[in-house]
Amino acid sequence: MAEVSRGKGAIKFFFWLAVGVGLFYYAFHTYYNGQMISWYYYKTKADGYAVNADVLKGYSKEKPALLQIGPFEKIEGLQAVPVKKGDRLPINANGVITAVQVKKGERATLENDKLKVMVPMRIREAKGFKYKDTFMHKEVQTNPWSGVWNVLLILAIGFALGLTAEGFTDMMGYKLEKIEHFEGAH
Amino acid sequence: MFDFAIAGIQAPLFLLILTGFTVGIVGGFIGVGGGYMVTPALIVFGFPGYMASGIDMTHIAGKGVVSTIRHRQLGNIDWVLGLAMIGGTMLGVEQGVRLLTWTKELGLSGIVLLTASVVIMLVLFVYTQIETAQAHKKMTKMAQEGEKVGRELTVSKGPAFFQRIPLFPIVRCRTAKIVVSMWVIVVVGIVTGILAGFLGVGGGFIRVPALIYIVGASTHIAVGTDLLEIAVSGGYGALRHSMMGNVDMIAVLFMIVGAMFGAQFGSIATAYVRGPAIRYILSYSLVLACVGAFLRLIYMMTGQKYEILSFFAVVFTLGEMLFLCLFIISLVYFSVRYTNGKNVPDWVPALVVAKK
Repeated sequence: MAEVSRGKGAIKFFFWLAVGVGLFYYAFHTYYNGQMISWYYYKTKADGYAVNADVLKGYSKEKPALLQIGPFEKIEGLQAVPVKKGDRLPINANGVITAVQVKKGERATLENDKLKVMVPMRIREAKGFKYKDTFMHKEVQTNPWSGVWNVLLILAIGFALGLTAEGFTDMMGYKLEKIEHFEGAH
Repeated sequence: MFDFAIAGIQAPLFLLILTGFTVGIVGGFIGVGGGYMVTPALIVFGFPGYMASGIDMTHIAGKGVVSTIRHRQLGNIDWVLGLAMIGGTMLGVEQGVRLLTWTKELGLSGIVLLTASVVIMLVLFVYTQIETAQAHKKMTKMAQEGEKVGRELTVSKGPAFFQRIPLFPIVRCRTAKIVVSMWVIVVVGIVTGILAGFLGVGGGFIRVPALIYIVGASTHIAVGTDLLEIAVSGGYGALRHSMMGNVDMIAVLFMIVGAMFGAQFGSIATAYVRGPAIRYILSYSLVLACVGAFLRLIYMMTGQKYEILSFFAVVFTLGEMLFLCLFIISLVYFSVRYTNGKNVPDWVPALVVAKK
């Protein structure tokens, strides 16, 4: 293998490091401005009520949550928005209490214009590591294009990090030669 | 602890990065994605099971690219072999997933899956361990007789048999220095893909032995080429999981930070060792994963009554990652000592190279 140029290695390292850091920054920016989350919690798969399941933490049969039902564009706190299958989820919605669950009445029931919820967002069984997913994820449909975005992002980050590492070893003068797979007796 | 809004949980950030790092070392060294180690770890950290698989698969795609770049630099990738396998693997994975769905409909999938995992890993462990021990013994004898010991030696008769199959078209893999029917490569891809799709893993622990013992690639080339494969099949798996809502990208990003460093160390470590050393690590990872899967199988077959079994299955799986990392680090350490003319145990010279 040709002698490694430390200067070229340094350029390679800093360039691809900048690209990698830029991609990370872009990803975290997309997360913190809510866009990534809205791609994930995109549409509902069933008729029911869209809610922000985080606010249901700590509620129980003894202390149920009372959610105000209404056509809110953005869910804030204890609010629920009626949705039909295939509807876009409102801003801040990350769970769906289905019409079937409300009809059953074990986890949630209707009380006039309010939705009474008797279980928390997620039930974790006392033993082992099992979750019973109450309202999050199950009836939520992710934007399929976010899958393409995820894959392109992770491959781009992998590429940038791989070349950053290669540039680093070149910059440090660490000589990595191609392995002689067939030298000697084999 | 970090608040993962998509998964809806809080999980320990340091442990995520550490998991990415340790599995990166192991994966970069033996050419596996490490899903059978990572998925249980993510469940322990608090991620729902379906998300653990999705996060793992997505991080594997990125880690595969990182490792592939380094292995390319080391000359460990045969592009013809890798690209020829990809189509067969993707087709096989689809069929494996359908097979899994069919067993799910019969209500059998959990136990069938675990039983298949245990049997496959046990068979691979036994064969790899016996073959590698024989190769190691032969290399030690050659070293003692003053012969120049090469980077690779295998005693398996499989490659000679499969390379003689005269089905057109015949492919010349220049880097791997093998001439073999394209159908052998494609069928290996399909079969390993079916197993991988059925078991819900990347399949590296099946494909690497298949590349060595059927196609006839050297261990280093099998590792590097498989990581190329994993980058592609992992990307496809990541796409499917993302579309089904099984991926929290922020968790993936933290894991890839650790994986970047780990994969570098694991990949570069292959330059310090001979083929049998990599095969030993692969066989140990198989037997430890087999024990973990066996404990989970017993747990399920006893109606999930004895939580201690599930607990030990997780402990084994997590402990396996650390054990294998330490083993790999020790091989590099011994290689450096050997290079500098210092004392090393008798079993070491046949496994490591004196790096100039």
